[in-house]
Amino acid sequence: MFKNILNKIKSSKIFRNLFFFFAVMGPGVITANVDNDAGGIATYSLAGAHFGYSLVWSILPITIALIIVQEMCARMAVATGKGLADLIRENYGVKVTFYLMVVLFFVNLSNVMAEFAGIAISLEIFNVSRWFSVPISAFLVWILIVKGNYKSVEKIFLFACLFYVAYIISGFLAKPDWNNVIHQSVSPTIDWNVAYLVMLVGLVGTTIAPWMQFYLQSSVVEKGVTAEEYKNTKLDVIEGGIIAPLVAFFIVLSCAATLFNSGIKIESAADAALALKPLAGKYASWLFAYGLFNASIFAASVLPLSTSYSICEGMGWDTGIDKRFNEAPHFFWLYTIMIVIGASVILIPNFPLLKVMYFSQVGNGVLLPVILIYMARLINNKEIMGDFVNSRRMNIITWITVWLVIILTLAMVFFTLTQG
Amino acid sequence: MKFFIYFSELLDYKVYDSKGMYLGQIHDLSMHITEEIFPRTIGVVVRRGFLFKEYVNVPIEVVEPYYEGKIKLKIKTADLKFVKKQIRCDFSLSRDILDQQVVDTDGHKVVRVNDVHLLIVENILYLAHVDVGTKGIIRRLGWTNVVRGVVEFFIPNTNYFKQEKLISWKNTHPIHIGPKKNLLQTDIARQKLARIPVAELADIMEELDIFEKLALFKTFSVEMQRVVFADMSIQEKEELIDQLDDREASSLLENIPSDEATDLLHSISRDKSTNLMRLMHSQSSKKLHKLLGFEQNTAGGLMTTEYLSLPQNALVKDALDKIKENADQSKFPGNINSIYLVDEQSRLVGTTILRRFINSDPQSSLSSTCLNSNVSVKTEDTIEEIALLIEKYKFISIPVVDENNILQGVITTDDVMEELISLAWKKYKDQL
Repeated sequence: MFKNILNKIKSSKIFRNLFFFFAVMGPGVITANVDNDAGGIATYSLAGAHFGYSLVWSILPITIALIIVQEMCARMAVATGKGLADLIRENYGVKVTFYLMVVLFFVNLSNVMAEFAGIAISLEIFNVSRWFSVPISAFLVWILIVKGNYKSVEKIFLFACLFYVAYIISGFLAKPDWNNVIHQSVSPTIDWNVAYLVMLVGLVGTTIAPWMQFYLQSSVVEKGVTAEEYKNTKLDVIEGGIIAPLVAFFIVLSCAATLFNSGIKIESAADAALALKPLAGKYASWLFAYGLFNASIFAASVLPLSTSYSICEGMGWDTGIDKRFNEAPHFFWLYTIMIVIGASVILIPNFPLLKVMYFSQVGNGVLLPVILIYMARLINNKEIMGDFVNSRRMNIITWITVWLVIILTLAMVFFTLTQG
Repeated sequence: MKFFIYFSELLDYKVYDSKGMYLGQIHDLSMHITEEIFPRTIGVVVRRGFLFKEYVNVPIEVVEPYYEGKIKLKIKTADLKFVKKQIRCDFSLSRDILDQQVVDTDGHKVVRVNDVHLLIVENILYLAHVDVGTKGIIRRLGWTNVVRGVVEFFIPNTNYFKQEKLISWKNTHPIHIGPKKNLLQTDIARQKLARIPVAELADIMEELDIFEKLALFKTFSVEMQRVVFADMSIQEKEELIDQLDDREASSLLENIPSDEATDLLHSISRDKSTNLMRLMHSQSSKKLHKLLGFEQNTAGGLMTTEYLSLPQNALVKDALDKIKENADQSKFPGNINSIYLVDEQSRLVGTTILRRFINSDPQSSLSSTCLNSNVSVKTEDTIEEIALLIEKYKFISIPVVDENNILQGVITTDDVMEELISLAWKKYKDQL
């Protein structure tokens, strides 16, 4: 009897689709989940709380752009078997690579600071002092890689990301004005004021970040995907490209429905947690803190790792978590320095964290267009890509995406500089 | 007059024609692929223009000796024809060496080339060393003087600037050369690589991307291919079989133990494995076909068909001859310690091992040296059952028979161990 039901479930279409969905889950989904880090949650919350539904329309184009950009990385990985830093070094020389890597280092360093700030803030909600939480988290993250068991922990992080479902439920429970949401999504009205535009490009900037391109490409290479298996990887990338903005959409939505409508401006983490109130009631701040902590520590483990990999790859230094400290000194030093600096600045009283965040946004903005242009050029090089070279149709879409992202990020840099 | 010059320094040189008119800048040097140890320059690729770049390949014969900071040609600009596209030559420094990965056959590792050190002999440049040190990077970035100033300010009398991290071209193997990533498949390349111990070669392979791996693998001799392949991880093996063209892949599969070949054929796509089987010699493909029919975790799936068998009335002498015939591992990869005695219908009659008959009278009957227990497993027996038997009787290999007791193949302990370890590992990982 029970077996019958089980078999029925197994043969049902939904189950098969669901199974397929989880089966192809890989680097694409992981990258997308890391993307919803401390900075991401903060940006989406602010977007919803301060601008209501007026920004939800942007999620759809961001999704498309994200998928296109990420698919390019995955395709390059399969076609060349090399990481992005490798490809840039081999085709554009050491000069370009070096300066790109310098910028990447500082941008990602400020991202790491943001992650540790996220750890500090989230645990302070549980009344854990940052003098305790930050050094311990930093040490755990560091030892995780040096001892080389990151891969087994990754799944735990990934599972913990199910927390984002809370935002989806909360989004529904808050009973948003669906007519308004749909209306805003299909016929967007853009407010031509500076604050609105900064927020818009901020959304693009945190969702399509430079480090993601390096991280995804290396992960696909490491997985050893063959040409025949590529269609699964493509699905994985599309899956990830939908999940991340979907979560973003519901964070914006629940913040809009709860905070914007009651006119609350987010000033602290406790305010942002209110968005989860429809679901969790008085426990909203706990749920929020838990989610923020997971997102922050997940990204805090991935960012230094991915940055050190990219830099060593580009500069031709030995890499690998399976090596010892003195076998790959550059790799481990970079990794250690990022964690130590990233964590310790959070403990400096009156450290201008907001200024650093501004800097990281500007850095992202400067770096992303450059990397996108290199990517678009590499993917059109038949010598490198072989049969995986961009088709004409893909090329038109790619360049439109690239230029839109470039214009937006340049606008962001302009606004951040003139405002900050 | 300098004897050595760095390629990165040459790259900034301005080029003038015979009348002293500015032509452009050095973009690349095209090299001659020869059997010589140090390749020589055959042309200078000159680039002009900023947004719309044009290139021309000037033969080295019309280039005057090198002056500091510039070079002069013996011909006029009008004699040269610039083209829009980058010029295709077999082997050039910017494209194939600078910033690429090469194998250091002396240090046994993969390194990235930061600069190239050229030897000047009678106006001809030879590729002498590759620079893989940080100083090469600093030089390329144009920061040598700044860095030197800073370092000498803090540590006077430093010998940092006397140390170079150069690798002689003699000890370097480029991984891909030429427009289509075709390879340097010369005897010199083979000799360079043959000096690297096999275990190190496998480590080197691990650091390369799949296409470089492929290029390097193709330079190996058949024997080296077989040994290096055996040392690779399953994932690497699959990738490699997938990328090799069908003919190469099938001949490689014929050269490795048949149980391993079967596992690989199981894991690649059906189309590919059918193609590979078609290309093999009929004997090997028949054998593999049979093995492919069995479940992977049963005796049939684990067994190899490389074993030694003799008719039941054979003499000890026959057994010794058989072992000598098959002692060369490259021709017979199976185990030569055990010999199986079979009757006219190929039914298993007994098992004997080298230790039991090596000191016997060559003319005596082999069957008298057989083990007392005639133990075998059935093709459908599971790995757990086989492991128990092997543990109980302390066998190195165990024969596999079908339902009519006809000998099908043998399973060796290392195959069982490998499978058990991976099963145990899987269980361990599931528990995590």
